[in-house]
Amino acid sequence: MKGYRRYFLNKLAWFLVTLIVGFLLNFILPRMMPGDPVALIVSHMAQGQSNASGVQAIYQQYAELFGTNQPMYVQFFIYLKNVARGDFGFSFSQYPRSVADVLSASIWWTICLQFPAIIVGWLVGNTLGALAAYLKGGFDKVLMPLSIFISNLPAFGMAVILMVIFGVNLKWFPTSGGYGFDLIPTLSLQFMWSVIVHYQLPFWSIVLIAIGGQAIGMRSMSIYELNADYVKYSRFLGIKDNKIVMYVFRNAMLPQITGLALSVGTMVGGALVAEIVFSYPGLGSTLLNAVMGQDYPLLSAATLIVTLMVLTANFAIEIIYGFIDPRIKAAQAD
Amino acid sequence: MKHTLQQIFRSPNFVIGFAIFMALILFVFIYPLVVPDAPLAIIAQGTFFPPGTYVSVYDSLGSTQYTLNLQNASAARIGSKVSDTDKAAIKDYLVLVGVPEGQIDLTDTQKLLEQWKTNYDPNKNISGVTNAKRNQFIRLNTSLQNANSDQGIVLASQDPTSGALTQTGTVKLTDYVDINQIASAKVLPLGTDNFGRDVLTELVSATKVSLQIGFVAGLIATLIGLTLGLLAGYIGGMLDDIIMFITNLFTVIPSFVLLILISFSIGQDQRGAVTIAVVIGFTSWVWTARAVRSQVISLRNRDHVNLSKLSGHSIVHIILSDILPYIASYVVMAFILQISSGILAEAGLSILGLGPRTTDVPTLGLMMNWAMIYQAHILGKWWAYFPILLDIALITFSLNLMNTGLDQVFNPALRD
Amino acid sequence: MGKVILEVNELTTKYITRFGEDVYAVDHVSLKVEEGKSLGIAGESGCGKSTLALSLMGYYFPPLHYTSGEIIIDGHNITGMKPDDVRKSILGTEIAYIPQAAMNALNPTQKVINIIEDVVQAHDPSKKKKDIYDLARAGFEKLGLPADVLQRYPVELSGGMKQRTVIAISVILGPKVLIADEPSSALDVTSQKMVIKMLRNLMDNGMIKAMIFITHELPLLYNVTTDIMVMYAGQIVEKGAAKETVFDPLHPYAKGLMGSIIVPEAGLRGVKLTAIPGVPPNLKKPPSGCRFAERCKYVHPECKASSVGVTTVGDNRTYRCILSEKELREVYKNAN
Repeated sequence: MKGYRRYFLNKLAWFLVTLIVGFLLNFILPRMMPGDPVALIVSHMAQGQSNASGVQAIYQQYAELFGTNQPMYVQFFIYLKNVARGDFGFSFSQYPRSVADVLSASIWWTICLQFPAIIVGWLVGNTLGALAAYLKGGFDKVLMPLSIFISNLPAFGMAVILMVIFGVNLKWFPTSGGYGFDLIPTLSLQFMWSVIVHYQLPFWSIVLIAIGGQAIGMRSMSIYELNADYVKYSRFLGIKDNKIVMYVFRNAMLPQITGLALSVGTMVGGALVAEIVFSYPGLGSTLLNAVMGQDYPLLSAATLIVTLMVLTANFAIEIIYGFIDPRIKAAQAD
Repeated sequence: MKHTLQQIFRSPNFVIGFAIFMALILFVFIYPLVVPDAPLAIIAQGTFFPPGTYVSVYDSLGSTQYTLNLQNASAARIGSKVSDTDKAAIKDYLVLVGVPEGQIDLTDTQKLLEQWKTNYDPNKNISGVTNAKRNQFIRLNTSLQNANSDQGIVLASQDPTSGALTQTGTVKLTDYVDINQIASAKVLPLGTDNFGRDVLTELVSATKVSLQIGFVAGLIATLIGLTLGLLAGYIGGMLDDIIMFITNLFTVIPSFVLLILISFSIGQDQRGAVTIAVVIGFTSWVWTARAVRSQVISLRNRDHVNLSKLSGHSIVHIILSDILPYIASYVVMAFILQISSGILAEAGLSILGLGPRTTDVPTLGLMMNWAMIYQAHILGKWWAYFPILLDIALITFSLNLMNTGLDQVFNPALRD
Repeated sequence: MGKVILEVNELTTKYITRFGEDVYAVDHVSLKVEEGKSLGIAGESGCGKSTLALSLMGYYFPPLHYTSGEIIIDGHNITGMKPDDVRKSILGTEIAYIPQAAMNALNPTQKVINIIEDVVQAHDPSKKKKDIYDLARAGFEKLGLPADVLQRYPVELSGGMKQRTVIAISVILGPKVLIADEPSSALDVTSQKMVIKMLRNLMDNGMIKAMIFITHELPLLYNVTTDIMVMYAGQIVEKGAAKETVFDPLHPYAKGLMGSIIVPEAGLRGVKLTAIPGVPPNLKKPPSGCRFAERCKYVHPECKASSVGVTTVGDNRTYRCILSEKELREVYKNAN
């Protein structure tokens, strides 16, 4: 158990370091740009507003909230304090809703959409890639070019294609939203059904993209492992072929798990854009609204949440990996 | 070198990818020579004109008229005028008056019209039919009669002072013009977009700009990644630790979040295509740095490098002549992938509304963004989004195919 | 003459390449190994010695394919058996294999004991884990390996320890014949010595009845084995007792091979080292006559014309050359 603990602590420390740097970047990047962010914000807000004292009041409020008239490090601690309390200020574009309120409404849609989709895509992609490596022949020849093509499609492209085929032409599924626009979110059966129906197209477009990329990676890993020396030796020891294939796929899968940890950020990024195509009520649409409405507080908070989500997912995968790969324990124990 | 090139061009994956990519590049360079129009010029009044050849109606009236007696001309004319909703209405009526459904064929317009003619009686009172419905049938009948008319059209000109009309000519049903003799016609192979711009011209220009963005982004990312990878791998020690720490950080911190933050902060007015490319380049070097570093580490202690060290060559010389040639293939492969991911990153950003400034040049991402905002995909205006998607897919697919081909040449284990 | 443990008659196997070409890497090879004897196989890389090792197992998987000939282990012909029967009742129990690259020969994600469990249960699914553990422990102790190796992952073992573990796993089911393919070539000198000692112990203790040892290091061969066979381009060119073959080779290739190495025996010190010019022939299209003719110093016009038969000298010595023993000795004498 000592080995695992060391591994866990190591990963935890790394998680915290990345989290802090993520926070810092989220704080610094917008402030590195020329101009006073608060003035910028207020000028955007004030467009079309004639009440000068109102503008002044807003400016005061935000200058106080961000602490722009104080040194950078003080600003950072103000920011940190606000974030720790979950206080991201008010959303400009959806005033008088607070940013925290807007985000808490959208974050679960994204989590419930993307994480199952990425996991399903990962599992199916790896299975197909392993089969392609093992069966070779026709299966491989069809699957591989298809996978390369699909994985090169941007997620929003897949989203548009699925939507046009199954939503617009076949009318099997609705084309936008997270649930029927005429429904009020309740726990009713009708609402649940609507959510499930609206879930399908965004879900499968993310799954398909993930399948393509994972299948290619798993195929390469499996071919590499199938040619490994232990395969030949195990055969000559009289071990059954299907048992050896289990070794191979298990061993090929391990780097795929680390690969998932490293690519989950990119996958989430693509999936957020796919959400926009479907007007799914998740973080993707929130980001779009923030950009369109020049809603700086909302954008900043949304990117922070996305960073937090990705880093957490990454951390979780690393921890799971520690339990799956027996070598981790051995390596850390020394 | 020659041998390597030969091997590369014997890889089917590489050759297919290379052919697609080169075809795209050629098209992008030749098309403007043939059609020199400004890519963002608004030519159409209205949105989403379907693909086709647009002929000036005025000019065609003035053009030489030829008489052609074509058998199926009238059927085609009627067919084009009777819409699917009209057909459905005809069917409704026929069913109401007792024609068996098996005898009604919606695909045979001619027969449908005959059935209508024989069965329709405006005075007949059918039970269960509302007044509105009856009026609809009457309107349908009138329009069908017009469509079926064999009368020509009289052309008249108006006297500017008296306002009196004088006949200047007639257009008969059998009159034709030769499209080549019409002074003004415009081929719009992909129709127009939501702003009334020629989609194909725009797309060609967008492809060029997007490729440039990908190229600049890829170049920057590769240069940063290569430099950091070489320094970390070859010099090692403390420098390696620092570079790897930074690299690992930016591997897990999602790069598109940085992209969004930077692009947003730059502001709409400052965002040109080049700026976007530079920003993408600066946020996507990590993979190159990692790959180069691990390659350099495995090369660092090879005999030829040691020999070079013992010969007193400078670090720069060793890196240039003893390390770089060995990792060149990896760097090229990484560069190819960076181009592709740069193009995708721009597209993603543009859909989020953070793309390049929209007034100068189109990019593939911006075109996609416009098509999405104006709901081309929901309205069924396929020419406004599908060619863009196909274009993006072809570019990234061909680049990745080239990469796969190179990978198979340089990593023989993957060949089977 | 002792009991014959392994007998191979006219064994031919081929590789089928990606382009569908046949490459006969083992071409009509016959050999016999008696109880208590060990046979060394020498040759340049690419001569077919490793392929012969694979072929002797009687268990083929692509790209290697069986063509003709027979393999008889302890009076039991295994060439007609179904592959799955070979796997179950021959591999590991009758004939065992030690691979060249022990570094990666063990599945990296299993403990040594789990690998052994899989091996034992592949032959006897009903065997209990407790019994397997006792068997493994006993086997390891007998071979002088610490029992705690069983609880380790391969990555935790040093190179030499890994190779010795591989040997111990290979013989865990008490095979009669052991085929060792360059078992020590990737190791440092100390580990090499331990591995060789272990192989010798196996023979001396009677844990295995016969051994085939493949290497390109001739001095090692002379020290470890009782008989030596020299291969060239998929064929046996010379076979005989270790001492004769090393000190008094008959075939020009064997002569050249022995001349190109340093043998630490007093009798051969001072002999000048010579290299054999040229490269082995392409086995996709082997030459019709003697396969060594292209590189042979003493080539005759007839050598390339027709295929060359095997000549037997004395009880147990054969070589493949058109010249008789006398003529060969004459030629060598004149050359000096």
